Amino acid sequence: MTDSPSFLSIESVGFAYPGDCPSLDGVSLSLKRGAFHCLVGRSGCGKTTLLKLAAGLLRPGSGRVCIDGQPLTGPSRQAGFVFQTPSLLEWRTVLDNVLLPVSLHRRVTSRDRVRATDLLAGMGIEDHARRYPWQLSGGQQSRVALARALVTDPPALLLDEPFAALDAITREDLQNDLLRLTRTQGTTVLFVTHDIAEAVYLAGHVSVMENGRITHDLAIDLPGTQTDDKRYHPEFTATCSRIKAALARSDRVGSS
Amino acid sequence: MGGRAVSALMLLAIVAVWEGWVMLSGVSAILLPAPSQILSVLWQGLTDGFLWPHIRITAAETLLGFFLGSSIGFAFGVLLAEVEPLRRLLWPYILASQVVPKLALGPIFIVWFGFGLTSIVVITALICFFPLLENTVTGLRAARPEQRDLFRMLGATRMQTLLRLKIPAGLPLVLAGVRVSMVLALVGAVVGEFIAGSQGLGASIIAAQGMMDTPLMFALFTLITVMGMLFYQLTVLAERWLLRSRQKGHER
Repeated sequence: MTDSPSFLSIESVGFAYPGDCPSLDGVSLSLKRGAFHCLVGRSGCGKTTLLKLAAGLLRPGSGRVCIDGQPLTGPSRQAGFVFQTPSLLEWRTVLDNVLLPVSLHRRVTSRDRVRATDLLAGMGIEDHARRYPWQLSGGQQSRVALARALVTDPPALLLDEPFAALDAITREDLQNDLLRLTRTQGTTVLFVTHDIAEAVYLAGHVSVMENGRITHDLAIDLPGTQTDDKRYHPEFTATCSRIKAALARSDRVGSS
Repeated sequence: MGGRAVSALMLLAIVAVWEGWVMLSGVSAILLPAPSQILSVLWQGLTDGFLWPHIRITAAETLLGFFLGSSIGFAFGVLLAEVEPLRRLLWPYILASQVVPKLALGPIFIVWFGFGLTSIVVITALICFFPLLENTVTGLRAARPEQRDLFRMLGATRMQTLLRLKIPAGLPLVLAGVRVSMVLALVGAVVGEFIAGSQGLGASIIAAQGMMDTPLMFALFTLITVMGMLFYQLTVLAERWLLRSRQKGHER
């Protein structure tokens, strides 16, 4: 398992917001190409900070972040980012929003438009391409944000609790959309969430974070294919309990 | 629409009470002319062409001052919002220039720019400058942090972030400033004429006062009010058109 080099590697990274105690303390994480990795933790444990460091939106105080062997010096064009809110531009149409990563750098071609429309069609919202974000439901807006992050086919995708505000049924649909789209492209995914079941359902690896440290690292190996049935398999529930126990343990460690 | 009908009815009621009171009390037209008299003076002024040159002058001063002041205000707003050290350096001076009653600067403007149009346009522009500056500086901060991070993530240049994120995100606030500016522009032009004008609706009010022609003064008030409402409606229409693709209720 250790023979292939990691694609996204976070190497003993430390970070502190100015005038604050360190929010990350010597965190290391390594993702192989095509891996789906989830970070789980309570609010304020530093998981969003870690994700922003991986994106290059923040610079580490110590250590370094490498994508494909190259140390990051700023926001990486190799990674797409999906924020907690869809953060669409409300004055542009859905299609323009999806094409924003392209239109900022060059003229949009008909091929780009086909790619964007395909992404929207893959999530069943191609009919909304000419509408404005406010005319869409929350789930549809999240799909647009996902399409925008994937339109340039970035090798890595970073997501910061993107589905936290959605209802349970919509969230499951979007989780399946995300799995399908990233798997066909072989995208390396780092996904931050506070929802243990979401992490177990999506990821091949789950890291538990507490107080700026990664306290546990679990490989998820569930029987069967990634289908909705998996959620109701006893093994799934058992894995969730293991992570929950790990979170509770690290909580005791943190407070002692 | 029901609200508008009620408003119109209220205007009719006020005018009727006014007319009735003037008739019954026999108050002198120098103190308070009857609405019917004001309307007939207004009608005569419009049909014999006496008022039109004044309307044109005041409209020209208002619009020139408005466009000049707002565009400079917007440009400075963008500059100050983008260059923080410049904002810290210049803000006290800009504030000072606004705290000074601009009409008090009228006499010096007459010395610099002469009596008439130029001085009045400068006073009007100075009045229109601040609402646009203030709202532009605030508006350019309206983009949400996640949207800024998105543009950073996508490798947008500073100019792209300004033109494609900050200005569009702040547009509703900028346009609210435009509305305020438009109303102030007419006030600036009319009062500017009090000090530095020999023509225009404001200057005509002073002339009418000199002749104790109160009905004409009221006719001029009416004209100025109608003109102000017309200009205001134009800015509202322009605003609606510019924000047409956005959710209703987002406009403030």
